[in-house]
Amino acid sequence: MDIDILARGLVAGSLYALVAVSFNILYRPTNVFNFAQGELVMLGAMVFASLATVLGWPWYAALIVTLLGVGLLTLLIDVVAVAPVLARSQHGTGWVITTLAASLIIANGVNRIWGPDPIVVRPPAPLTTDTFSLAGMTVSAYQIFLVLLTIILVLAIEQVYRTRQGKAVLAVAEDREAALLRGVNPLRLSHWSFFLGGAFAGLTGVLAAPVLYASTGLGPALLLKGFAAAAVGSIGNNRGALIAGYLIGVTEALGAALLSPGYQEAVVFLLVLCVLLVWPHGLFGRPFARTV
Amino acid sequence: MAASVAKSRGLAGLLVQAALVVIVLALPLALDPYGYPLFVATQLGVYVIAAIGLNLLAGYAGQVSLGHGAFIAIGAYATALLTVDQGWSFWLAALAGVALSALMGVLMALPSFRLSTWYFAFITLAFAQVFEKMIVEWRGLTRGFAGVVGVQPPSVFGHVLEPAGVYWLVAIIAIIGFWLVNNLVHSRFGRGFVAVRDAPAAAQAAGASPARLKLLAFVIAACFAGVAGAFFAVQKTVVTPDDFTAEFSIFFLLTVVLGGLGTRWGPVVGALVFFLVPELLTGLESWRMMVYGAALLALMLFAPHGLVGAARSLFDRLRPKQAGQTTQPAETVQPQGAHVERPAISGLALEVKDLRKSFGGVVALGGVDLSVAPGTCAAIVGPNGSGKTTLLNVVGAYYRRDAGAVLLGGRETKGLSPQQIAGEGLGRTFQTPRLLGELTVLDNVLLGAFRRERASLPGTMLRLPGAMAEAERLRAEAMELLAFVGVADRADDLASETPHGHQRLVEIARALMGGARLIMLDEPAAGLSMTELDRLEQLIRRILALGATVVIVEHHLDLVASIASHVTVLDRGVVLASGAPQAVFADAAVMAAYMGERALNEQASDQLSDEAAGEVARPRPVPAKGA
Amino acid sequence: MTMASNAGQAGELLLSVEQVDVGYGHVGVLEGVSLSVRRGSIAALVGRNGAGKSTLLRAISGLLTPSRGQIVFNGRAISRDKPHAIVGAGLLHVAEGRRLFRSQSVDDNLELGVYGLKMDAAGYQRRLARVFELFPVLEEKRRLPAGALSGGQQQMLAIGQAMMREPVLLMLDEPSLGLSPLLVDQVFAAIMALQQAGTTILLVEQLVERALEIASEAWVLQNGRMIASGPAAQIAASEELRAAYMAAH
Repeated sequence: MDIDILARGLVAGSLYALVAVSFNILYRPTNVFNFAQGELVMLGAMVFASLATVLGWPWYAALIVTLLGVGLLTLLIDVVAVAPVLARSQHGTGWVITTLAASLIIANGVNRIWGPDPIVVRPPAPLTTDTFSLAGMTVSAYQIFLVLLTIILVLAIEQVYRTRQGKAVLAVAEDREAALLRGVNPLRLSHWSFFLGGAFAGLTGVLAAPVLYASTGLGPALLLKGFAAAAVGSIGNNRGALIAGYLIGVTEALGAALLSPGYQEAVVFLLVLCVLLVWPHGLFGRPFARTV
Repeated sequence: MAASVAKSRGLAGLLVQAALVVIVLALPLALDPYGYPLFVATQLGVYVIAAIGLNLLAGYAGQVSLGHGAFIAIGAYATALLTVDQGWSFWLAALAGVALSALMGVLMALPSFRLSTWYFAFITLAFAQVFEKMIVEWRGLTRGFAGVVGVQPPSVFGHVLEPAGVYWLVAIIAIIGFWLVNNLVHSRFGRGFVAVRDAPAAAQAAGASPARLKLLAFVIAACFAGVAGAFFAVQKTVVTPDDFTAEFSIFFLLTVVLGGLGTRWGPVVGALVFFLVPELLTGLESWRMMVYGAALLALMLFAPHGLVGAARSLFDRLRPKQAGQTTQPAETVQPQGAHVERPAISGLALEVKDLRKSFGGVVALGGVDLSVAPGTCAAIVGPNGSGKTTLLNVVGAYYRRDAGAVLLGGRETKGLSPQQIAGEGLGRTFQTPRLLGELTVLDNVLLGAFRRERASLPGTMLRLPGAMAEAERLRAEAMELLAFVGVADRADDLASETPHGHQRLVEIARALMGGARLIMLDEPAAGLSMTELDRLEQLIRRILALGATVVIVEHHLDLVASIASHVTVLDRGVVLASGAPQAVFADAAVMAAYMGERALNEQASDQLSDEAAGEVARPRPVPAKGA
Repeated sequence: MTMASNAGQAGELLLSVEQVDVGYGHVGVLEGVSLSVRRGSIAALVGRNGAGKSTLLRAISGLLTPSRGQIVFNGRAISRDKPHAIVGAGLLHVAEGRRLFRSQSVDDNLELGVYGLKMDAAGYQRRLARVFELFPVLEEKRRLPAGALSGGQQQMLAIGQAMMREPVLLMLDEPSLGLSPLLVDQVFAAIMALQQAGTTILLVEQLVERALEIASEAWVLQNGRMIASGPAAQIAASEELRAAYMAAH
């Protein structure tokens, strides 16, 4: 068995985990799953690629602008497409269609602005995509950086939920009404969460760009694999998302190696379906038992 | 007066529909038979056929599927490959396509049993993406991107159909399909679908299996899509993977949402607007998806029930309120229904032995015994959180028991599903009434007869005499039951617009409609006014007089003392006392428990809560007043 | 530093509910209900299950909006305010059923009690100390998730959570539910201590007799209408009102 598969799986899995984490950030205070998330990641990649590669901006400037831009756009999605639907009915699924609509608009818009050609993004030195041999695997410095940074980011996000605002978000997720009675304003928290989750998605796009190439077709695949990682890892559980991400990444790499690359999506799909049918709440269960 | 107005409106509606059919069929005579407009009209018909199926699945049954394009693709590819490669006739090939689609429908239905709506939506979207790739991967079968070329139009009696002929074929199928689905929607299946969407527990209480209904909806939707796919292949003459991208599936959902999910004319209107508008504005081809996205967004924000829904609410607002439509105040005393004769019911006995149920670490039922003789009224009382509703839910199998026995009419119910137990004669109402708001009160009662109605699916769809006669009989019976419970005058009102007290009565009528021989009432008196309470008591007496067994969970001890022959007091999951009401209520320990203090006897203090640990029960000190 | 505008005359009207109608959708629950609470007092709201007591509290705290009538708190009309704004004004509602955040620790739950308030570490510790003084068991279990506490301890935590905010008016919905006699004593002692420290209390209780013992005024709700009100002792003595609020005779 080619151990490179493991390496590739971990790298791809890290990206899926990051998308899943951005999903979780949005989900916590709203119970909404943003169908436009894949396109937001892609947008992050495209904007960064344009600023850094095409316009030649220094990477940190491009990064900040990307994060702010995607974050604000995601906030807009909350204000326009999600909050009004939730205000009408907390339990409906109208947001499935409105976030779907948002994804169509963004995807189409991006395609018109950028066109279908991918843009190559080079990470800043010393992180190169040149490969070398490490423990029998062919890896690049960037790949190692990506895997490590993902773990750091997941742990960092956990810290956010240790702050008072973070605890308030968890409170809203657990019992919205009780949170209201404690002076929490769920709308403000959801706006902040959408902004943060959007910025995170943008960051994911930036990190993905050197590995996946910044192109406008990235969205749908990332949406679904990100959802898969979030669902298999139990929605709201970021560490679970990390592990699930690796699982999916490695399965995908295995599928590509053992069968043809065209089948890898089908393999992942079947895996995810089987897991969810047995454990509808993901591998790590629900975070707290429901009171009857 | 109101009846004849309704009748004349019904007649006008029929005339309009007849006129539409004539126009649709006459269209080819007005258009150039080989021209583009006729081609577009045929294409529209194809989409309408598929949309009708998706509307049934996503609108009525509530299963939002983002992968519907796959069903159409299967129909199209099957037809194309079998006619072009194997030389089959169109009809056989189309039939094969429909069968394969139906099979796929069965597979797609399976995840819907386990996964909640939006998980399911994602899975179907994932499926659409995978499917798109698979069509290309299996190029041995599907010819990959080159596609299947040269699909011929169908022939009838040896004559190859002209475009006009194809149009008529499609139009007739669309009209028939519309009619069939309409019949289905107005039958027990339609009620079942709406129940699955809006109140699955009510569906189970009525004896309907949500899984089976979902399966049915999927298969029907898949069949329609398969048919549409067959004609799609004929229209395009070349079938390629590009026709069936994930975008295509989303487009389909849009069509149905635009028209109005769960409305009769929604799929037709949606297909019309969605298809024709871009055709008329061909310059905007590249903006298509963006326009669709913006349209969807605007729609969900401002007109969540689509164009048909928006038109309907506009119409409702403009129309002056008709006599008899003003909502009556709840206090108005209704005819008591004492005069309604109902056949005797052979009440069931209920035995519950050492029933246990825990949620996580919390014990909800810690070994409950209950014995109810047939034809009697047994009451279960206790403070909030004592496990009363959990008891009902476990007896009805909405929750699975951890241990213990439940015997209904002497038979163990272990392993039975809630709908099967309902079929054995168990009826129930819910603490918060679970009615189907969008249906009328009468339809809600009719839902109760789901299991009793014997009419088959084809019989219902084709309005065969047997099915129709049965439906009439059941309608009459439902009206009788509404009169029996005292809400006959609200039969045609929407359930969502019925006052709370009446909703309770409708639920009881629904349970009786199902032939319940033991009815469980969950806090039926909550929120009722004095008059309504009185009426409820009278109704329960009438039900008992028929011979049914009644088990009532209640807080209103007056009501309990008045009608129950046996009372069981629950406190934190165990039976504190049971016996005749007078004896139980006189027991000081019982009343102390009910009033919130822990009883001092050992039975209760064995309980789990660790507040017992280290805290000795002692007589409470008299509290000093003020300072 | 005193709490949110509690400077006011004891005895004046702090909360005034005027002829409100409240319902859920088409279902009306309360009709023409009025109630008032004097600053510095304990008012008891009694009535049978289903009478609408919880609904009234929810209308006051902003979870429900009255379709008619108005609610005035500390001189400010709050009927249309959002719940978090009402909390900000100093009106707290401890809902029935011990609505805590069970997956979070006792400490976290208490911290959420002061969500949105600015205070320094010393101020926070002072408030925390007050809560622990009244309910020592909470300090013992402070790092445990709230879900691991017993029912009685959870009720104490719920009250402690509200105490952290030093409310002007505290509404308690059936705090004695499911508690042993000893714990009920503790809870009632806490309520009286709070009142002594200046908090006004509106108490909904199943233990009607005990509630009427510590309250100065009582309000009786039946089937969505306020049928009587007056000094608590008077209400307690009235035989005919007994039927209205007692669960059994």
